[in-house]
Amino acid sequence: MSQIETFYEVMRKQGITRRSFMKYCSLTASALGLGPSFVPQIAHAMETKPRTPVIWVNGLECTCCSESFIRGAHPLAKDVVLSMISLDYSETLMAAAGHHAEAALEETIEKYKGNYILAVEGNPPLNEDGMFCIVGGKPFVEQLKHAAQHAKAVISWGACASYGCVQAAKPNPTQATPVHKVITDKPIIKVPGCPPIAEVMTGVITYMLTFDRLPELDRQGRPAMFYGQRIHDKCYRRPHFDAGQFVEHWDDDNARKGFCLYKMGCKGPTTYNACSTVRWNEGVSFPIQSGHGCIGCSEDGFWDQGSFYNRVTDLTQFGIEANADKIGMTAAGVVGAGVAAHAAVSALKAAQRKTQDKKEEA
Amino acid sequence: MTDRSLIVGPFNRVEGDLEIRLDVRDGAVAAAYTNSPLFRGFEMMLLGKDPRDALTITPRICGICSISQSAAAALALADASGAVMPAQGMLIAAILHAVENLADHVTHFNLFYMPDFARPVYSAEPWHDQAVARFTAMEGSAARDAVTARAELLHIVGLLGGKWPHTLAIQPAGVTKTPTTSDKVRIQTALRSFRRHLETTLFGAPVETFAALSRKDDLLNWTTGDAGLFIRIAQAVGLDDMGYGPGRFMSFGAYPLPDRRAFKAGVWNGTLSPVDTTQITEDLSHAWMLGDTAHPRDSTTEPDEDMRDTAYSWCKAPRLNGQTVETGALARQIIDANPLARDLAAHPSAFARVAGRLIEIARTQMLLEDLAAQIDPKDRFMGHWDMPASGTGEGLVEAARGALGHWVNFDGGKITGYQIIAPTTWNFSPRDQEGNAGPVEAALVGAPVRDGEETPIAVQHIVRSFDPCMVCTVH
Repeated sequence: MSQIETFYEVMRKQGITRRSFMKYCSLTASALGLGPSFVPQIAHAMETKPRTPVIWVNGLECTCCSESFIRGAHPLAKDVVLSMISLDYSETLMAAAGHHAEAALEETIEKYKGNYILAVEGNPPLNEDGMFCIVGGKPFVEQLKHAAQHAKAVISWGACASYGCVQAAKPNPTQATPVHKVITDKPIIKVPGCPPIAEVMTGVITYMLTFDRLPELDRQGRPAMFYGQRIHDKCYRRPHFDAGQFVEHWDDDNARKGFCLYKMGCKGPTTYNACSTVRWNEGVSFPIQSGHGCIGCSEDGFWDQGSFYNRVTDLTQFGIEANADKIGMTAAGVVGAGVAAHAAVSALKAAQRKTQDKKEEA
Repeated sequence: MTDRSLIVGPFNRVEGDLEIRLDVRDGAVAAAYTNSPLFRGFEMMLLGKDPRDALTITPRICGICSISQSAAAALALADASGAVMPAQGMLIAAILHAVENLADHVTHFNLFYMPDFARPVYSAEPWHDQAVARFTAMEGSAARDAVTARAELLHIVGLLGGKWPHTLAIQPAGVTKTPTTSDKVRIQTALRSFRRHLETTLFGAPVETFAALSRKDDLLNWTTGDAGLFIRIAQAVGLDDMGYGPGRFMSFGAYPLPDRRAFKAGVWNGTLSPVDTTQITEDLSHAWMLGDTAHPRDSTTEPDEDMRDTAYSWCKAPRLNGQTVETGALARQIIDANPLARDLAAHPSAFARVAGRLIEIARTQMLLEDLAAQIDPKDRFMGHWDMPASGTGEGLVEAARGALGHWVNFDGGKITGYQIIAPTTWNFSPRDQEGNAGPVEAALVGAPVRDGEETPIAVQHIVRSFDPCMVCTVH
């Protein structure tokens, strides 16, 4: 394995300056919540450890994960990613085609046996022996199992790989199945979202490369550092929620004023993700900031929970602080706890219990 | 030279999966059969759902053209409910959509199309070194430039739509975002920066100069920027002599504005006529789908799980008046009466298709600047609308790759029918019951296959000139 270059070498080859590299390390450290003292550690690891090979395969999906990755990402993060998958195997971006592509996959598996990370975008449909997604003449599920067999760990990118996503919506015509239901003997890290935030994707992969282990996962297998808080906990519209100021109709005055979107179906209160802190497209915004509620795309089953626009009508406004704190504790973990009393507890609690029960089954 | 049959695929650098079977005779493709091997069944999942959920679910058909899908769904629901966007709402929706399409074209050129010229098969060509330095997959300097420029361009979608991909802001009666004056300034700044990118790398000249080209001869004499490199290479490899489309072009018209569509709708077959969408049918004779040929408002999606032998793709075969049509940037520009595109129309080759995209890049940049200057933060961006319990609607837009239509029926507040015909469904359709090949299948006939070539380079150039988006095709 000594011939594998270091991550740093790859980046330098891509024309990234030492200064940019150090900046990347410090950005990553802060994104991972690690603090400045970890910067040298990250830099050292990237300079000295052989780059971890990544194989990126695509099943039933829409490529939004790749797109988020290459398009929306911070320039530095993007360079890292491009150099990282540059390339062992990625169907969307690589140079080879046809048989050469398949050969490249085989070669990569053989060369890095037991040492590579398998990144999966999309999921396998199992109906009709997997014929709804055929790659190189074989069902994708076979490619997936084959590539997973010698992987060190598996990353399930996005809601498709993690949970099934919209293509698993009732009646789930193709029986689209999340990766962890098919691959059961490898560590799997789920990075849900439709798509996941680019910085979250790079953060996760950098952590794994730097520390050579999986980041701390919550009980659903998501990296706790990015999925530890609800959108609601850090939402800039939260004061309006607490004050009971809601948008009632898309075109009302409250919408113009930027009031809370809870009644427009916003799922921020039950969704764990980093949108309200990291934000999207290099940090410019996130859906709630554009005036549309969160649809909960990083939660299991978000596609089959009734309409995305269902208004919550049984909102209980005040006088339930005790319950509110309790919810805050269980839900928000670190920061959210004790910050504020929630209104709307009964509705939230019910919704939350529902999703959590579902998660336990999964 | 013996006859042989080739299966080309999986195609890389293509959105989704694609396989093409080629019958090769005397060193050229004699027949081609396109197969879209990925089926998800979106039209089945939408049944029984709240019609408004189409706004969230259909964009997830495709992570590349999600705004196109959301715009088509919004228009279909608006058609069904009578919702009307205020002028400023249309303006913002048009900006969101045009930014996505522009970004897509630039991606296609830099990441999907040009890298094929860096392949070793061309290593003896005088331009090869330049192509390698600029366009080698994942490593060439153009990819880096383009990816950075696109990410900045997409800040506009971030600002107006909260996130990209899978943007949610477009609703039947407007957009959820009320942009501020500072948003407007940031949008204009992002556009200026993208203009700089186009003028320094792609065109090597002012956008207006390229947009003003009116004759094919002028285009062939264009030498600056990556566009100049493309034209030099295209002439050397004979890109203008391969991949002829049917010569019938269709556009639903791009970017609805209060008084017009910014790029006009129509059908072109030497003369211009209006699109009559009632004459659209989906033929299932060679698709693994059950049911009869029908208009999308009446058709269903029922996969044939036996995958009968007479069929070979999950893709239905849409036809207009029983005929194939080509759709995409070239079609849009021909129909919008761009003189250069009209000059290219007589010879609808792989070259013409890429050139059509270049024309559209220049014109869309100018359009976007014009639209952004009209943003009025004090105005209304959303009108009032209520979903009726039942209704039927048609939503027609132009995605980067061409005409995209959504047809919805709902009753009792639940979707009872939802059909989508995507641009690549038109271009990559299989044969119909008359045996007529789809546009790409027909365009591949005659493509040269060199001795021993397993993935013929000419086939790559032709297929990619259509910029396939296979996940949209079958959905």
